[in-house]
Amino acid sequence: MSSARGTSQGGGGEGEIDLTPMLDVVFIMLIFFIVTSSFVKEPGVDIAKVSAVTTNACDRGTIIFAVTAGGDIYYDKKQVPLGRAFRLAEAAKKEAPKANFVIQADVDAPTSVLSELLAAIKPLMDAPLCASTNEAG
Amino acid sequence: MRKKNRNADADEAEIDLTPMLDVVFIMLIFFIVVASFLKEAGIEVNRPESNDNPPETDATSISVTITGDDQIWMENRRIDIRAVRANVARLLASDPEQSFSVKTEPGATAGTLLEVGDAAREAGVKQVNWPLEEKK
Repeated sequence: MSSARGTSQGGGGEGEIDLTPMLDVVFIMLIFFIVTSSFVKEPGVDIAKVSAVTTNACDRGTIIFAVTAGGDIYYDKKQVPLGRAFRLAEAAKKEAPKANFVIQADVDAPTSVLSELLAAIKPLMDAPLCASTNEAG
Repeated sequence: MRKKNRNADADEAEIDLTPMLDVVFIMLIFFIVVASFLKEAGIEVNRPESNDNPPETDATSISVTITGDDQIWMENRRIDIRAVRANVARLLASDPEQSFSVKTEPGATAGTLLEVGDAAREAGVKQVNWPLEEKK
């Protein structure tokens, strides 16, 4: 880049490197990464997932809640009470209308909490819930 | 426009692209770093629409109950988690379109629920239904 500037200050014209093709490529990469970045808010807690043979990818599963073994609900690295889960889910859904819900449940998480959480976010869901599991085998 | 300038007089009139390039590169690197290609994987669990009257009295459905102490009950017998797949497959053989639902009681754990769901999916169930858990 310094050589390009040097020549333009000196003789100009012929010796200059044409940056246009590189700029094109860089812009295309930039736009690609802007479009594909999904800004997932991770729950940020360690949970022991269940291993499941029929695990498949959660399509557009980017709104992630976690339920720990103690029955605490986590979203975006914070513990949230059940009553706030709906409002958080609603805000996330408004931000990304095509996103689907994922719940990471610990092996020992009580189903009662899971059931209540699912009931709370049910009105927002337009696809079945994706319960996060590890691929077995 | 640049080409015209260069051919004519060069030097002074040319726009210096370097600062813009710096910004663009920084943005590029930012988005590369932020782009999390994390793919969540899991199994689908459907919550059926809640209605007070119990649905489908004519059509048969496969029902599994997980009690509060994580026991799995099916057809009025207690069965082992490893036997769920075979039992569901056996019932499914008579009518492959049967719906499958798993009911839980307070105290059950998510591990058992998802293992039962996984076993049912392995047996060929299309959708795992999990109705709202009844409170004690």
